[in-house]
Amino acid sequence: MQVALQQLVNGLTVGAFYALIALGYTMVYGIIRLINFAHGDIYAVGAFVGLSLYGLLAALRIQNPILTTLLALVVSMGFTGLLGVLLYRVAYRPLLHARLSILISAIGGSLTLEYGLFLIYSPSFLVYPHLFGRAGPSFGSVDVSWLQVVIFVSGLVLMAALYLLVHRTKIGMAMRALAINQDAARLMGVDVDRVIALTFFLGSVLAAFAGVLTGLYYSQISFLMGFLIGLKAFTAAVLGGIGNIPGAVLGGFLLGILEGLAAGYFSSRWKDVVAFAILIIILVVRPRGLLGERVVERM
Amino acid sequence: MQRWIASLAVFALLLSAAATGAGAQGAAIKIGVPVPLSGGNAKMGDDIAKAATLAVEEWNAKGGVLGRKLEIVSFDDACDAQQSVTAAHKLIDAGVVAVAGGYCSSAAIPASAVYHDAGVAFVADASSNPKLTDQGFENVFRVIGRDDQQGPYAAGFMMKTLKAKRIAIIHDNTVYAKGLADATRAALQGKPGVQVVFFDAVTPGEKDFSAILTKVKSLNPEATYYTGYYPEGGLIAKQFKELGISGKFLAGDANNDPTFIKEAGSASEGVFVTSTPLPQDQSTAKAFIERYKKRWNQDPGPYSALEYDAVNVVIDAIRRAKSVDRAAIIKAIAATKNYRGATGTISFDKKGDRTSVLYITYVIKDGKFVPYGAS
Amino acid sequence: MNALNGPPLSRSRAALAGAVALAALALPVLGTPYLVDVGTQVLVYVMLGLGLNVVVGYAGLLDLGYAAFFAIGAYTTALLMVQYHVAFWATLPVAALFTAISGVVIGAPTLRMRSDYLAIVTLGFGEIVRIAATNFTFTGGPEGIYGIPHPTIGEFVLRSPRAMYFLAMAFALLVLAGSYNLARSRLGRAWLAIREDETAAQAVGIYPVYFKLMAYILGAVFAGAAGSFFAVKLTAINPSSFTFIQSVTILMVIILGGMGSLPGVILGAAVIVILPEALRGFDRYRMLAFGIGLIILMLLRPQGLWPSRIGQIERRAVALSEASAAAGRAVDTASTPE
Repeated sequence: MQVALQQLVNGLTVGAFYALIALGYTMVYGIIRLINFAHGDIYAVGAFVGLSLYGLLAALRIQNPILTTLLALVVSMGFTGLLGVLLYRVAYRPLLHARLSILISAIGGSLTLEYGLFLIYSPSFLVYPHLFGRAGPSFGSVDVSWLQVVIFVSGLVLMAALYLLVHRTKIGMAMRALAINQDAARLMGVDVDRVIALTFFLGSVLAAFAGVLTGLYYSQISFLMGFLIGLKAFTAAVLGGIGNIPGAVLGGFLLGILEGLAAGYFSSRWKDVVAFAILIIILVVRPRGLLGERVVERM
Repeated sequence: MQRWIASLAVFALLLSAAATGAGAQGAAIKIGVPVPLSGGNAKMGDDIAKAATLAVEEWNAKGGVLGRKLEIVSFDDACDAQQSVTAAHKLIDAGVVAVAGGYCSSAAIPASAVYHDAGVAFVADASSNPKLTDQGFENVFRVIGRDDQQGPYAAGFMMKTLKAKRIAIIHDNTVYAKGLADATRAALQGKPGVQVVFFDAVTPGEKDFSAILTKVKSLNPEATYYTGYYPEGGLIAKQFKELGISGKFLAGDANNDPTFIKEAGSASEGVFVTSTPLPQDQSTAKAFIERYKKRWNQDPGPYSALEYDAVNVVIDAIRRAKSVDRAAIIKAIAATKNYRGATGTISFDKKGDRTSVLYITYVIKDGKFVPYGAS
Repeated sequence: MNALNGPPLSRSRAALAGAVALAALALPVLGTPYLVDVGTQVLVYVMLGLGLNVVVGYAGLLDLGYAAFFAIGAYTTALLMVQYHVAFWATLPVAALFTAISGVVIGAPTLRMRSDYLAIVTLGFGEIVRIAATNFTFTGGPEGIYGIPHPTIGEFVLRSPRAMYFLAMAFALLVLAGSYNLARSRLGRAWLAIREDETAAQAVGIYPVYFKLMAYILGAVFAGAAGSFFAVKLTAINPSSFTFIQSVTILMVIILGGMGSLPGVILGAAVIVILPEALRGFDRYRMLAFGIGLIILMLLRPQGLWPSRIGQIERRAVALSEASAAAGRAVDTASTPE
């Protein structure tokens, strides 16, 4: 039982990272029907920018771990958000009406970001400062660190904020209108280009947040770190119902827990097979994911 | 229409660019060095290429070999089967007389067949999977030990020195790691009282191994041996300690990189690493390390010294053969007897494996790899 | 569906086609083994691209796990040749059978799904096949299968890069002829109808499930043939050749070339293989240059290098009808946001 609980905690931690990244996939997909292959690499950029900030602050002799972390988070999120907008403007905007060509452009963007990091930083792994230890509350023999609590809670807060933004504000309404019908939204006076740019900004901000926390929690970052987790996060977004914000969060946590249980009770070597097999079964039963609605859709 | 002409021009340009890369026979004797320069193993490839360059520069400073200068021709194989085969063809086209390099066994095995068909000697520096030389190609050699030599050594260390009875083995499902894990398990099986309680793989590229380690913890192992590469190794060592798993943690020779210690932080203290002796612990390598540092302004990587030796074995063979004929070089390499390299003396057995490879165990102490028992 | 079927070729296109054909013929005579090997790789991607073109270009089903069929073909041939000493040629029908079955396995449960859900299911299938090949012992695990013999014709062993090039050429021409005829067959017309409007196709008596399944099966068999060839070309195969990246690379071939267009696939394959090779001079900047190159190529030619003529006309029509369809969607979902 305690092992099962520990696996649940493990799964929730991994799931929080999946969920934060899945949100970027799902928002972009919801609005312009693009699988943004470069999104995982945006997350990697966030982690590297954060590391640079720690380096800079250490050089300036600012040592307070909480202060430096907040600064690293804010700067990294801002920078990465703007990078997301830049990527959209350069590589995607001219191709919005070419549904498959834009995919290739996204792959090109992914390679550009990966090997940009490779050249600017390092072909090797870089190590984050060890700022926060493993201390934390303990429930029976189940160990939880404060960092895990912070990741989980702040992740949920950001996700809720995003949900409110999309559902309770004017700009959110414009985003939803765009997702339903771009032309009609344009006719109603929505600045389509600005709204899409904002979507990329928000998705990239969340990815950067996940990137810096990855550095802090796992302590190791590399230029290829976004690839595998990007693939998983995309899977999570589809699992929950792509285009759906609560769906991405649910999908992220579910995938994290499923993997934890599969590795714990079956075999780590087969855990991805288990995860994908369950995904396929869910999609066969519910072809639009767990929380996806039925919509008429064209290829 | 104009666009068409433009893209046609680009295409023609690409073709001609691909074509000019080949050919161009100079007077220099060319030695091929295939290494990963892109992808996750790019750092290792960089370290290896630098060692090869150093070896050749040293000979050129002495006036070259057979009155001719030497030259390194290096191509990216990305540790990928397909790309390594293309790189192999490109090296052969470039007119290399022999090849010394490679990193991943998964890339070296397919490429070795191309070198075999072309009759070019291939001295592998870091590919330790037994199958590379078990193919029976007379042109294939390696200066590193075999996984099925390290496996029994690691098994012996865990059973005899650590007196461990319950042993967990974790690999990462790559050719190297699985080979070493299999060899270790085979050496443990059937030993009285010893039990392999866990045998499973992690996925390279992931960062969270708490799920698999939670399972390991519930099995109360007395020793856990990780046979994969250091990027995951450092993380596993850290999470192993954080979860408070019983027993000792050991890692294979792909973890003898300083980055392992940086990643794991204080959790790396007391971790054992089985390995061939690192350059800094070999009197023979002292001079090499100094020259490498001077030339590149950085420490050599874990495989730099091996590559340095691989290139020098080829050069030594060219000198003894007094010829740059590819077949003559293969013969001369096979006849290598007690060549004194940076990693010790080198001779090859019939298969092309290095004879008498020594393994030792390091323990991490105060953030450094220290030979175990040498207090 | 394809340029050869459309209006007469423009002069520049004819000139380009002639140049490519000439280069393909001259390569084995004039090229060095390296260039011939690069040419062989182009041909492998031509086979794979043509196969995926059946699924994506003809039938309009997005597939992100196509490398799975490539893997099944390669492993079938490799295992039969190494374990059971079957001749290369005899493994081909078996590989075709196995890939066809796997086409049904992945096709059957997914046919009700549309576009991007299909994409992720195929992605999952691709990963499952690769991981299974890594984990099973009969597939050789991560080491894969090595020592695959060269194919023989009578006493003659096809070993040299040149011989492999000609074998690849024979395979590619067969696949090309198959694709060309498929586009013109009853099947081809039914795919076109389904791709453009499934409901309307159904209304005139085209049963989509059958035709979609056929697209999967034929696409899978083409990839299987490419896999069989790949196994004897490399003589050693392991799971790392059949990753998600491989699937994406094959998809790049057909999108770069121009969806649905056979000459486009050939051109796309050439670019995908030659571009990274040509960029070797950039050394450490190679992959960065490749990424930027992909973006620039797409920005300059969003419909691909050699788009299909009919496709262009279709696209205009689709763009027009998209507005009305989207308007209909808005009505459908007006009550359900997102």
